[in-house]
Amino acid sequence: MLKFLIRRLLQGILVVWGVITVMFILRAVSPGDPAVLMAGEGADDEIIQRVREAEGLDEPLLSQYLDYLGSILVGDFGFSWEARSEVTAIVIRRIPATIELAVAATVVALVIAVPLGVISGTRRNEPADYGATLFSLLGISTPNFWLGLMLILVLGVWYGIPYPSIGTSSFSTGSFVVEYPSSIGLGLFDFPTGRREIGFTAAVSAVLFEQSLSELGAWLRHITLPALTLGTYFTALITRLTRSGMIDELGKPYVTSMEAKGLPRILILYKHTLRNTMIPIITVIGLQIGTLAGGAVITETVFNWPGLGLRLIDALNDRDWPVIQGIVIFIAVGFVVINIVVDALYNYLDPQVSES
Amino acid sequence: MISDRVRSNLRQSFSESLLPKIGLGILVVIVVMTLFAPLLATHDPTDTGHFDPETGSEYPPLGHSYETEVAVDGEFTEVTIESNSTHVLGTNTVGQDVYSRLIYGARVSVIVGLSATLLALLIGVPIGLLAGYYGGRVDDGLMRVADTMLAFPALVLALALIGVFGERPVGIPDPIVMAGFAEGMPATIPIPGTVTIVGALVIWVWFARVARGEAMSLRNAEYVKAARSFGTSHAQILLKHILPNSMTPIIVLATIQVAVIILLEASLAYLGFSGTTLSWGYEIERGQDYLRRRPWVSIFPGIGIMLAVISVNLLGDWFRDALDPNVDQSERGA
Amino acid sequence: MLNNSHLNVQNNNEIRRRKLLKLTGAATTATGVTAIAGCISADDDDDDDADPDEEEEITVTLTEFPDTIDPLDHITGDYFDIYDHIYEPVFEFDPGDGIFPWIAEDWEVTGDGSTEVSIRDDVTFHNGDTLTADDIAWTINRSVDPDFALVSDLGQFGLGSITGAEAIDETQLEITYGGAPGLAEFEFGNYARAMNREWAEDRGADEDVLSGDSPEDFNGTGPYEVVEFEPEVEIVVEKFDDYWGEEPPFDRVTFNADGESSGRFNALETGETDLTINILPEDVGDVRDNEDTDIRNVPSFRTIFCPMKNSVEPYDSQEFRQAMNYCVDQEEIIETILSGFGTPTSQPVSPDINGYNPDLEPYPQDYDMAESLVEESGYGGVEIELTAPQGRYVNDAEIAERAADMIDELPNVDCSANIVDFGTVSDENAAGLDDPDHPFYMIGWGTVTGDTDYGVQGFFVPEETRSFADDDLTDAIVESQEIEDPDERREALQEINAQIHDLAPWVFLNVQESIYGIREDIQWEPRADETIYLWEMSV
Repeated sequence: MLKFLIRRLLQGILVVWGVITVMFILRAVSPGDPAVLMAGEGADDEIIQRVREAEGLDEPLLSQYLDYLGSILVGDFGFSWEARSEVTAIVIRRIPATIELAVAATVVALVIAVPLGVISGTRRNEPADYGATLFSLLGISTPNFWLGLMLILVLGVWYGIPYPSIGTSSFSTGSFVVEYPSSIGLGLFDFPTGRREIGFTAAVSAVLFEQSLSELGAWLRHITLPALTLGTYFTALITRLTRSGMIDELGKPYVTSMEAKGLPRILILYKHTLRNTMIPIITVIGLQIGTLAGGAVITETVFNWPGLGLRLIDALNDRDWPVIQGIVIFIAVGFVVINIVVDALYNYLDPQVSES
Repeated sequence: MISDRVRSNLRQSFSESLLPKIGLGILVVIVVMTLFAPLLATHDPTDTGHFDPETGSEYPPLGHSYETEVAVDGEFTEVTIESNSTHVLGTNTVGQDVYSRLIYGARVSVIVGLSATLLALLIGVPIGLLAGYYGGRVDDGLMRVADTMLAFPALVLALALIGVFGERPVGIPDPIVMAGFAEGMPATIPIPGTVTIVGALVIWVWFARVARGEAMSLRNAEYVKAARSFGTSHAQILLKHILPNSMTPIIVLATIQVAVIILLEASLAYLGFSGTTLSWGYEIERGQDYLRRRPWVSIFPGIGIMLAVISVNLLGDWFRDALDPNVDQSERGA
Repeated sequence: MLNNSHLNVQNNNEIRRRKLLKLTGAATTATGVTAIAGCISADDDDDDDADPDEEEEITVTLTEFPDTIDPLDHITGDYFDIYDHIYEPVFEFDPGDGIFPWIAEDWEVTGDGSTEVSIRDDVTFHNGDTLTADDIAWTINRSVDPDFALVSDLGQFGLGSITGAEAIDETQLEITYGGAPGLAEFEFGNYARAMNREWAEDRGADEDVLSGDSPEDFNGTGPYEVVEFEPEVEIVVEKFDDYWGEEPPFDRVTFNADGESSGRFNALETGETDLTINILPEDVGDVRDNEDTDIRNVPSFRTIFCPMKNSVEPYDSQEFRQAMNYCVDQEEIIETILSGFGTPTSQPVSPDINGYNPDLEPYPQDYDMAESLVEESGYGGVEIELTAPQGRYVNDAEIAERAADMIDELPNVDCSANIVDFGTVSDENAAGLDDPDHPFYMIGWGTVTGDTDYGVQGFFVPEETRSFADDDLTDAIVESQEIEDPDERREALQEINAQIHDLAPWVFLNVQESIYGIREDIQWEPRADETIYLWEMSV
């Protein structure tokens, strides 16, 4: 078990190194003056000269590369000349909104998909199954930016349900501001985080401490459409997997013997078959975090949700290369970390894997 | 390349289930749209200015009308715009025919989807076969590269690549127009060149992985060993024995990846990073600001993307069910 | 922030021809105009009609949130809309009427390229320090003096002819400049700001731009002080209790931004915001129909046009460039794509800019003329591409597509539109004439100083960045900068505009209209220079 985890961790470190290297190579091979690239859209000559000196762009590529690796190792993703800010600070600032959205989307997906998949898998070739199959087919085939717009059109415009337009911060009136510590310190990592009003935290504390549901309502109103938009592909995928997993499991001998023993069917379904089905689903969720991140870029753009994805698009429009690098690396590293965690979970649920 | 057994499996599952038939049906429609776009379109898709002559407003789809306000000499006047029989699905914000752009959009999606997948095949399959066949360091190296590439979400990597290399459209000539069969249609249509290459760079690694797996299992197969004992060269073994026998899972994967690329192209065009405007994704973005009054501008191209992706997914499911190769759901790139 | 952010500067200023005379005349006779001064004095603040107990809060949604907290490190309209409330302007600039006292009480041209300015002695910073003439002089020097490490866009582009400033005593300073006094006054009248020197130096402002992410990182003399700051998302300001001037109309103001016009529209409709900019012509009707919201609009100083780099074929031919202009029907574009909001142009600047030539007419659409001009140029049968941004200017991509298609109608030219992100266009505009990637592109330009010079100089003068080379034109522009007599200078500028009309270095498109969506009960006449000053509003 421990050996497995260590091996997995080493592999992960190798991948992270690879990701950083790819982003470095991309910058190195891209046409044009690297200083111009680092300085961002339309920076003037003096800035470009300062970038050249500060980033050591006159030095050999190898030493630039080692510098870059070294600084990322201590949590320093460089400096955005365009935004005049540490890239790390920019990334940190944008993380909570993206996580909030991604978690909400995953919750939406699980809440809808698992029961749907179970129903579909246990009632094969009945109308419910056809419905679920059709839904999941549409779900994995619909571009989510279009889905987002159609949700706005149908719910927002035709049925008049308000949706957020300025992201999470627009409704937090400031009464529940979550103060982060002024720096998150692990010795190595030391960066200012500022403060951010988290809709969900504010909403929950309003319910708990003020017995007020209005904040929660506001939060729900703001997160529902983006979460649905981002979660639909996931929902469809998990429905499919749950369905086929249930079909597989229900065909196994232990189900027949349990039924013979007279265990209630509902207990067999939810306690045993579903549990076994969940194991591959967790793996897929891990592997699909990348899809979620890609989807978040789009969803955040559609709903102007102030997360990493929206910031990435802004950085691309400004040609702000350090920020592009920082966000892409961060997303990729997040993907690796989540997959290691998923593997560990998987390993815990099903110890045979470590042998294979 | 494709054995009789495979063929009969395909036939059997096709006749048993409705879904592959639907998939094939939609695909045929899309292929016809792609091939005969200049004949099916009613207007030059790039031709602007088809507005209601009195108010300068867009036409709604046939059978619909809508109300809007226009400034006439600085005064706002409420007007009702009726549809126009030559513009079946109405016109968009610059007065282009929505129906004709829907038809041509299929062409762009299909060309990008196929050529990016083909390019990815050409990159990924040889690398994967070599790594799987020879094993050792080459193989280790490939696996690390593959792991690294897979750590990037496809869209995010594509955006980063485009950020570096810019957006370049490529003009593709239209043989039907060149031969003089379609008057007034564009002689070339712009295809997002960078997006095609970037798409291939993003998905090639999936092909490399599958090809590697196949080559690894086949290199110890009896007939391969036999061929080697007869002194057949490695190159010939790879070409004559390993490649043909690896094709089935690769074809299944390729089918799914076409859908991935179609979605990727649409997403990039939607975000404004494809460099072309004749694209379903761009059309959706174009209509975004006009959603309340002119929803048709965004609705139809979205249906186009959805149908194209559904058909490819259905075919992919059909192939997978019939052939049962080791391509599972988790190997979808997008 | 950026070299090119003046491409989207919203803070354009206008000086009408006769006002310019008045302005320069006033300055040389050493008078601060007093007639208007009364209304900005804090003393006659007795017409308070609102309930004094009710806190008045509003939200203002812009298109772009500042990516810098340094008030000198940008020249972007949206940023001014926020920062001018914190770091107020030193002069009041009224489009069409010139400069008036604000922090500055009085000024006088002393000859030899310098102006003496006296300032109020009762102005305090948000941190309690008193404003001195030295603070203003230091701020100006920090913008324009190359010895400061900061490369200030505001200094480089807004204060281009200003060479420096020096405090004479606590309340007097001298501003020096290289060009004509008239040009200088346009510039410092618009762009002089006041930072607290001691406070700023403590934060390393003499070494680099200010940075930070807390409300304490702002310290101006404006009527509002920052109470909350969430970088990239929002700035919240509240009334500054010790403000020297009239009490501003709102107690608490939140500034945020949304790049999507549908989002801004939606925010206004749902009451999430009370004032937002760049409403699409499309949405004007709906905003008006809503009981709680209203539209305020005014023509801006931003012109939209398509430069053609004459270092490459076919744009090296004047006939060809004119032919392009003869293809485009500006009226039709305005009517169909801009729903009637916009004005056709015949020259680089809009009608209220100093040096505008009223005798020029826009190129009419005339395909026969265009076709024969193309034949004359020898480029018949050529294929060209118009590169345009998306979402930067009102309906930009749509205008470009329509214009490209109008050119494509010509039997002997093929033209298509290439829609790219703004970065590509802006890079192209700054890239100069060598080996252009996109020699025919669309851009918008706000003539910031209200003077033709700013509208043309960058495109035709600097060797490395100009997008069109014509030696006679370049010489004419450079010479005009030295002309001291306002009449003579205006005539020279009109001549330059006529020269540009004939040379046709650009395909001329429209003057952009500023369209604001606002809560119905807020009284406000939008300014012609696209600037939002809350103190000009009332409820």
